[in-house]
Amino acid sequence: MAGYLSTLKNDVARWQAAGLIDARTGDAMLRDAEAHHGRGVSFGSVLSVLAAALVGAALLLFVAANWEAFPRVARVALIFIGILVGYVGGAGLKARGHAGLGEALWLLAAVAFGAGTALVAQMYQLSGDEAQAILVWCAGTALAAIALRSHPLTVGAVLLAGAWLLMTATASGRGDHVPLSWLALAVVLWAVSLWTASAASRHLLLLSAMLFAGLLYVDHESLRAPAILAAVSAAAFALGVWRPEAADRLVRLDGGLPVHGLLGFIAGMSAIQFEYYDEPEFIYVAIVVFAGVVAALVLAGRSSRMLRWLAYAAFVYELGFVYVALIGTMLDTASFFLAAGLVLALIAVVITRIERRMAAAAAEVRP
Amino acid sequence: MTASRKLILAALAIALVQIGILSWMIVGRAMILRSGQEVVLEVQPVDPRDLLRGDYVRLGYNISSVPAELFAKDDPAADPDERTVFVRLRAGADGIWQAVAAAYGAPPASGPGAGEVDMRGTADYGRGAGVASIGVDYGIERFYLPEGQGRPIEDAMRERKFRMKVAVAGDGTAQIKAFYDGDALIYSEPLY
Repeated sequence: MAGYLSTLKNDVARWQAAGLIDARTGDAMLRDAEAHHGRGVSFGSVLSVLAAALVGAALLLFVAANWEAFPRVARVALIFIGILVGYVGGAGLKARGHAGLGEALWLLAAVAFGAGTALVAQMYQLSGDEAQAILVWCAGTALAAIALRSHPLTVGAVLLAGAWLLMTATASGRGDHVPLSWLALAVVLWAVSLWTASAASRHLLLLSAMLFAGLLYVDHESLRAPAILAAVSAAAFALGVWRPEAADRLVRLDGGLPVHGLLGFIAGMSAIQFEYYDEPEFIYVAIVVFAGVVAALVLAGRSSRMLRWLAYAAFVYELGFVYVALIGTMLDTASFFLAAGLVLALIAVVITRIERRMAAAAAEVRP
Repeated sequence: MTASRKLILAALAIALVQIGILSWMIVGRAMILRSGQEVVLEVQPVDPRDLLRGDYVRLGYNISSVPAELFAKDDPAADPDERTVFVRLRAGADGIWQAVAAAYGAPPASGPGAGEVDMRGTADYGRGAGVASIGVDYGIERFYLPEGQGRPIEDAMRERKFRMKVAVAGDGTAQIKAFYDGDALIYSEPLY
């Protein structure tokens, strides 16, 4: 946030010089901005996290390289000390105002816990159940996130839950294993993310939910999951556009719900399109997707630049899809490149016009 | 209590919980080693191309493939995927334990007789025409080795009979205890 503050400082100085605001208002605005954004991630704390990660990786590599030299009891003790020093030391650092370093130590402690489960498996020659070990690791990390109200640990737990989902669903040679219990886990982690004020975790959980629906589709070869994904996403989009305050109270994504809605809608509809690839119904599905993308652009494009670009990308993607499915056989390669070039040029013109109008509209709002 | 003291106490609690979880896992395994029923199984190499993965060897046993007719109740031809299975073992004349009965979900009815033990595993697939046998994983299919020692053992396993002494807990959990090349002990699991 240091970047925003320094930009604002320059702006305020210019506004004061131009007589737009008086000196007192300017100073008050700067103080307010510092109070609200100063606590955010600063460049220094990012660097300290990276430094801690590097030192931790070096330690781990050293231990891994000399692993055989340590007796088993010493290995366990090393892991236990890592956990203890990581959590308590991190809390001490955070209490003294070094939030970035403290969080980094907590992450290292959580990694030590995961390494501990792997060590026990190695000590007692356990086989199978790597997924189970990841789940234990995820639960331990989520507990730590709750107790310490830590945003990075919440992100870690969400990522581990996703890893568990993927590992269980893709276990070799076994079908039908997408764990429905992931949904329960996701609900719990969502609650944890509200407690730890981790919006990034909620974004990741929504992306994981799309992955979950995709895995269900591949596993069951049924269109139920993608259809539900597309419908729920459309509903989420509508909620985010028409009731933005209610949506934000509900999901607290800083207005990001429509983007997820559009992404989920496209993901779900893509699966449906794959299924109807060779059927006459394909064209109707394609029309629904085009209509959805255009509707998203019209309804929410004005307020979100990210949504606009997602919609453009979806449009090009859908165009490619339709081309491969319907027109591909009718054109030779040269004509294809010509047609693709013309269509892309057309899209570029349309996008440029939309973006210009958005900019003009934004300028009007801000007289 | 100040906020920072609270934070440090919470961190201490979390550290102790996580250390506790790991200790509990270790103690549980040590208990099986100390008091579990000992059985001896014959080691069979699996998938000759991919025996050594990372720093462990994959192992199969004489009871890794359980004939479908050993299942008393339930239909063994029904989807065996990922179901918990209990396999009853009895020592053969040569000292190697063999599967004598099996059941899904719970140990075979009638309880293990004298000289018998029920071992818990996970059925992963049916094999053969009309599912003649069920593949079972017992959680002992992996043996960790110091780097570089895997290859010689892997080669020797194709030439000679290797045996594994396994401890079985009361609930059927299996735990590797000692690894034999013929009659010669090559590895013995310490308690801790």
